[in-house]
Amino acid sequence: MSCFLTVKNLFKEYEGCRALRGVNFGLEKGDFLSLFGPNGAGKSTLLGIVSTLVSPSSGQIEIKGFDLTEEPEQFKKQLGVISHNSLLYDHMTALENLIFYASLYKVKAPENRAVELLRVVELYPRRHSRVGQFSRGMRQRLSVARALVNDPALLLLDEPYSGLDQYAAAILTEQLAELKSKERTVIMVTHNLDHGLNSATKVGILSAGCLVFMEERDSVDPALFEVEYLRHVQGAVRA
Amino acid sequence: MSGFWLILQKDLHAEFRKPESVISMVFFGFLLLVILNLAIPLGSEISSETGAGILWVAITFSSILGLNRTMSQEKENRCMDGLLLSPVSIEEFFAAKMVVNVVLMLLAECSIVPLFFILYGDSFFQSLPMLVLVVLLANIGFAAIGTLFSAITAGTSRNEALLPLLFYPLVIPLISITVKVTSMIFQGAVIKDYSSWLYVMLAYGCIFTGLGFLLLGHVVRE
Repeated sequence: MSCFLTVKNLFKEYEGCRALRGVNFGLEKGDFLSLFGPNGAGKSTLLGIVSTLVSPSSGQIEIKGFDLTEEPEQFKKQLGVISHNSLLYDHMTALENLIFYASLYKVKAPENRAVELLRVVELYPRRHSRVGQFSRGMRQRLSVARALVNDPALLLLDEPYSGLDQYAAAILTEQLAELKSKERTVIMVTHNLDHGLNSATKVGILSAGCLVFMEERDSVDPALFEVEYLRHVQGAVRA
Repeated sequence: MSGFWLILQKDLHAEFRKPESVISMVFFGFLLLVILNLAIPLGSEISSETGAGILWVAITFSSILGLNRTMSQEKENRCMDGLLLSPVSIEEFFAAKMVVNVVLMLLAECSIVPLFFILYGDSFFQSLPMLVLVVLLANIGFAAIGTLFSAITAGTSRNEALLPLLFYPLVIPLISITVKVTSMIFQGAVIKDYSSWLYVMLAYGCIFTGLGFLLLGHVVRE
């Protein structure tokens, strides 16, 4: 049986520096992969390639059988991304931003979808405020709503908890739990072991461009995993 | 609604809500026309060649302000990534940005050209209908080159300094043709005298629009 997401032999080189060295993995529908690794391990590059923003040097990615390079438009419809940047327009209101993105994805009744998501992230009372006036936490919550606007089958999260206050982090955790219950596939890059291990069904460690560890979450002892993770972080610091 | 219309609508809405680009383009164009006018002795008439040169100096230098602005708003919070992640094609994105640039330039020219007639003599006014055609063709060329290069420079830290360095060398042939055609129009030449130049201007715009469609995808992706 083919996987929901297949990453085959993925390489990425930046001007002679190898960011990814033959990454292979597959995820089934409903899998939640928490990906750990030291700084510069290639985690964000991997997410960048899966999200179509970065071109791979070689390798293949398929989602629901759609090839990234052959059918990018079909591939993109399945994706939602939360990154370090909000990808939101400061001069537009929260509602306008979500309607704009919903319309880009050809969501039916984009205004209704935008209002629904604003209620979920508890920003409905501020729907007519410009994003430029929002705090970091509010932007991140709106960014969660933006990423969910097309009800993506695959959600990519790059350090989604960074800069969030407790309240915003709780909303994000709640949303991730709901995505899990709806059998959405998620890849989350994080340095936070607690958040990563709590949500995951699979855990992985990327080090020096190689996927050096990939196991089912249930088969992993958190204490031993922490030791393994720190070993790679320290190894990267020494290198 | 297609991605093209959505991006076009978003950008024009933003500009009409806070018309920073058009106001700065008009103000800069006015400033250039007034300063150049100070160099002309009172009561003397300028030649059609000089008039054409002055008009296009004002239009070309003011246009760079708008070209910079349309792409820089995609730079804030990396909104460009948001568009690239969506199923909107890169061609739709380029076409929408190019049309926004043409519209902004036209809006600015609606003020700059009348001021030119006021300051430099209403004898040029009779050539207005053909001047509109020349302005349109020049705008297409400027917008095609400007959109492509503003996308390239939007990813750099010094984009406002870099764009003119890349933009002006490439538009110099277009500017020289445009000035030539405009001076012929000011002299009262009939269209068949300069129609071949109009085709060259159209071809220039088409070539760089085509290049924009082909190259923009490579430019904006890492």
